[in-house]
Amino acid sequence: MLGNALIGLREGLEASLVVAILVAFLVKTDRRSELPRVWIGVGIAVLVSIGVTLGLTLAQQALTFEAQETLGGTLSIVAVGFVTWMIFWMRSHGRTLSKEIEGKLDSAISMGPLAVVVVAALAVGREGLETAVFFFAAAQAAGETTGPLIGFLIGIAIAIALAYLIYRGALRINLGKFFTVTGFLLVFVAAGILAYGVHDLQEAGILPGLTTLAFDVSAAVPPDSWYGTLLKGVFNFSPQTTVLEAVVWVLYVAVVLTLFLRPARRPATSRNAPTAA
Amino acid sequence: MSRRIPAAVLTAGAAAAVLAGCTSTAPADNAGGGGPITVNATDTACEVSSTTAPAGKISFDITNAGSKVTEFYLYGEGDRIMGEVENIGAGLSRNLIVEVPDGGTYTTACKPGMVGDGVRAPFTVTGSAARQVDQNTKLAEATAGYKRYVDSQVGALVPKTQEFVDAVKAKNVEQAKALFPVSRTYWERIEPVAESFGDIDPKIDGREDDERDPGVGFTGYHRLEKDLWVTGLQPDSPAIADRLQADIADLANRTKTVELTPVQLANGAKELLDEVATGKITGEEDRYSHTDLYDFKANVEGSQAAISALRPVIDERNKALGATLDARFADVEKLLENYRQGDGFVLYTSLNEDDKKKMTAAVDALAEPVSQVAGAVTA
Repeated sequence: MLGNALIGLREGLEASLVVAILVAFLVKTDRRSELPRVWIGVGIAVLVSIGVTLGLTLAQQALTFEAQETLGGTLSIVAVGFVTWMIFWMRSHGRTLSKEIEGKLDSAISMGPLAVVVVAALAVGREGLETAVFFFAAAQAAGETTGPLIGFLIGIAIAIALAYLIYRGALRINLGKFFTVTGFLLVFVAAGILAYGVHDLQEAGILPGLTTLAFDVSAAVPPDSWYGTLLKGVFNFSPQTTVLEAVVWVLYVAVVLTLFLRPARRPATSRNAPTAA
Repeated sequence: MSRRIPAAVLTAGAAAAVLAGCTSTAPADNAGGGGPITVNATDTACEVSSTTAPAGKISFDITNAGSKVTEFYLYGEGDRIMGEVENIGAGLSRNLIVEVPDGGTYTTACKPGMVGDGVRAPFTVTGSAARQVDQNTKLAEATAGYKRYVDSQVGALVPKTQEFVDAVKAKNVEQAKALFPVSRTYWERIEPVAESFGDIDPKIDGREDDERDPGVGFTGYHRLEKDLWVTGLQPDSPAIADRLQADIADLANRTKTVELTPVQLANGAKELLDEVATGKITGEEDRYSHTDLYDFKANVEGSQAAISALRPVIDERNKALGATLDARFADVEKLLENYRQGDGFVLYTSLNEDDKKKMTAAVDALAEPVSQVAGAVTA
């Protein structure tokens, strides 16, 4: 029961955290009109995940291991790109700016509407397949024992509740602080997703060094403990981290955090929206 | 925007479906294994219903009967993950379908609590699937390629030996002496093939002091060599020459239908170098004419031809080995070039101990990677 609830919590947090911040951002900056796009993105991710899982089950097939890992890894790395874009998109609004310049920035950062859909879809979808498969297994077991299914749903519910609390909390703080805090948080979330994606690609055999560990703290932070679950769900922290994962994580944080914290340029200069390395 | 949304959903759905179609596995029936292998995982154990399966798609049904969340892995060599299922919550069953193309020893593991090395057990995969077919094609190409080489050498060996034999019969000693090492070159290049027909080699290439069955005389190249260089032509020299030509023709006939295996190629390449070490570097083989370096060169060339034919297979199995072989063959070639004289080589008697030491070292250095080829092509 508890184990299954923690799985639900972890998968739920991974999916809902970015969405919560995105929604808070849109609400705080008076862009409620864009909220439907978030839900469209989430909807697409959920539908595709369930659709593929159902389709495969009905056809009595399973994704090959390499395909599953490559898909998860690639989606994660693409998601990092969009979350990075989101960080700088938010940053550009984190300054108290005149309406006129804000308008200019809006046009400068193009692909806005579609990007919102994509960010939401990727945030939810990159682990959607795994979650859908798990949900399916839990539903199948419900014939004999409903424990796993209930546990899993409780976990998801807690994750959504936590995401909602983050959203509410984010709404309370003042705008300037909001951008700094959420941006800061997102940098680490994105770094975690990137490392996670690298790990998936290592497991698929596309990247080398799966067994070369940077550190192993699984004794201190068991992955099935509640704190291990939270660390994994929020920051994608893995108690056993490979050297390549660690290097990528450090590089990403170093580069993006530096760019994020650098003083604002004169608003008159054009700004290039950076993309993930 | 609103009109684009259904399209976006459809596109995403279609893309996912296509992707799944391209990379999904058909249901595995564990051919002959009688349905999926069941794995009963608990907090301390990992009971796998069968520890062996034929190569191809292998299906595991894992049930977590413990209280901790578990994972199930199938590891290959060096803990390469062949397949895994994560997040098997307590009370849940998950299915894992793995494509295992090659037979061998693998490892199953359950990881209760998702940590550590897990509860491991060896798992044997028998036979091999599609990849082996491709391998066999490569190996078949290798043997066919070497066969072409043998045919081309035999094609030159017959007329060259005829010229030598004619010179002997015409009592043209100088010409016969000049043709002797040239004709032998083609013979020495394919000697392992000739040796696979046990009775031919002694008749063509026997030495005077070899053990022979009673009534079997000393014939072939070396008997004529002795006549030409030491005793002068004998009354029976023309008959011995005709006999040599007949034996060579017999060899040519038999090589037409010879079927060689990749291992024979690899072993042949190694035997040729052993020949060099035991026969040529000692100066034992051409003891009367001292044309050993011609034979030396021919043995190395024959060895290289067999290795070249196997090269695509070697490169696939052991990338580093091919480069080593190239370098070592080049070393030996370079060393031999120092003893060139006109179209041929200096007499072996003109070499000093230091020269011979260098040759021994170079041949030994070459023999070492060549001896690994058989293992690489049968791996």
